[in-house]
Amino acid sequence: MMSERALRFGRAQHLVGVAGLPSATRGTVGVIVLNAGLIHRIGPFRLHVELTRRLNAHGYPTLRLDLSTLGDSGASADAGSREQQVRADVADAMALLRHEAGCGRFVLVGLCRGAQNAHIAACTEPGIAGAVFLDGYIYRTAGFRLRHYLPRLLSPARWRGFLARKLRQAIEPEEVSFGSDYPPREQVRGELAAMLARGLRFYFLYSGGIDEQFNHPRQFRECYGRSVAFHPSVRVDLLEGTDHTYSLLCDRQRMFDHIEGWLLEHFPVSTAPAAEPALQA
Amino acid sequence: MSPAEPCQFGRDRALMGMYHGVAGHAPVGMLLCPPVGQALVRTHRVYRQLAAGMAARGIPALRFDYRGSGDSAGDSVALDWQQCLDDIRSAAAELRVRSGCAMVVGFGAQLGGALALAAAPAAGLAQLILWDPVLDGARHATTLDRLQEELRTDPMRFTRPRAPQDAAGQWLGFAVSPDWRAQVAAWQAQPVRVPTLVIDSLPAPASWSTLAAAGARVVAMQPATQWDDLHRLEHAILAPELLQLVGQALEQPA
Repeated sequence: MMSERALRFGRAQHLVGVAGLPSATRGTVGVIVLNAGLIHRIGPFRLHVELTRRLNAHGYPTLRLDLSTLGDSGASADAGSREQQVRADVADAMALLRHEAGCGRFVLVGLCRGAQNAHIAACTEPGIAGAVFLDGYIYRTAGFRLRHYLPRLLSPARWRGFLARKLRQAIEPEEVSFGSDYPPREQVRGELAAMLARGLRFYFLYSGGIDEQFNHPRQFRECYGRSVAFHPSVRVDLLEGTDHTYSLLCDRQRMFDHIEGWLLEHFPVSTAPAAEPALQA
Repeated sequence: MSPAEPCQFGRDRALMGMYHGVAGHAPVGMLLCPPVGQALVRTHRVYRQLAAGMAARGIPALRFDYRGSGDSAGDSVALDWQQCLDDIRSAAAELRVRSGCAMVVGFGAQLGGALALAAAPAAGLAQLILWDPVLDGARHATTLDRLQEELRTDPMRFTRPRAPQDAAGQWLGFAVSPDWRAQVAAWQAQPVRVPTLVIDSLPAPASWSTLAAAGARVVAMQPATQWDDLHRLEHAILAPELLQLVGQALEQPA
């Protein structure tokens, strides 16, 4: 029997998601996976399905969902900004997992725009204990530019790759422009510091696919300063060589291993006996 | 019109779908058979729009994912041709039970079209609407192999070409078992005794003679659909004329 359930839920019954409900022990964090860009809840190359099932096998309840107006989800009647909608949708997702699996704390996972939405929700929503940001907010620094441009001056192979990319971009501009919708760096830095002060834990996992935005773990400190970068609740890794959406199986497995390892270390599966799920959503 | 309802059905409730119901009696329903792999991801939106459009016209519609694809149970590497055909049969039965319809029209794009065609007799599909269906599996497998090799060395995706072993056993982001590869490559469309409409939006001229010889109608649709352009691998497929063409086909049976 499948341990996943397809559900319609939310304040206006407008959201659609798939909950993975292992025979969880009460107190285990629930993991909520947000849309990567406009891709529906299964994620790029079915990444979200594979990830949530791996986490279910460890005992984590999960929910992969479509936020308002994405995938199979509709719009609520709320008047409000997109940010308010994201926060309300995440609150609905947490209420669902609280009801279905008895979760009291939650970790958000998001790639690209999903990471930005995870950041938005984590800023204000109580109950969120941590987040995995896949290619989350990052800003170019002086160090980035040195590491980016110096090797290119000396490497014919990199010149060829660079020119091929530029030629392709000239012919067919990319639809996604990393960083184009970013808030000011100081705002993000301040929000991260405030969330860390509230006890949240973060895993920033960057792919090699955003090498025109991020090229060394050190850039995280250059970008956000020591107080954020060296905070004990922050981990930063770069998976060099991978692409932005992990199109190769070996890269996906590597990324899953990293997420799993971080979750098991920071949010271990509870060994307390299972209890009845909460009655109220 | 009520919103689509998530549903689970089939053995062990392993198949996940979205049912677009209608009020009152509906003599005809539409079963939307998805393609697989990245084409499934790319067509999700247009399938949703088509199903919602059908429901708005009073035709209940069911979208679903095969075992080993989308939200349904099973790993991607476990995709199996015969299982997909069985899943179409289960989905057609589910649509009949949910809607009470007596007649099920099968719709499928690309490899979903091939699967709908292959499943039509066993699933009791009364009419087929096939959008750029794959008729020659060997050619399709060759195309996917070529695209996978291009992906491995794509400078837009990787700063350095990846090793062949990193990309082996996969088609555009999805694990491919030797069995699935052989099953796809062995597919050769055979005409079926079911009224069939082919919607052709392929960028290059294609021969639909296998189906046309058995009476299938062919209509062209613009703009061309770029199924095999690596640089659109993660772009949604849009088809603004699709709903209108499918609606017309249902008003005038093929």
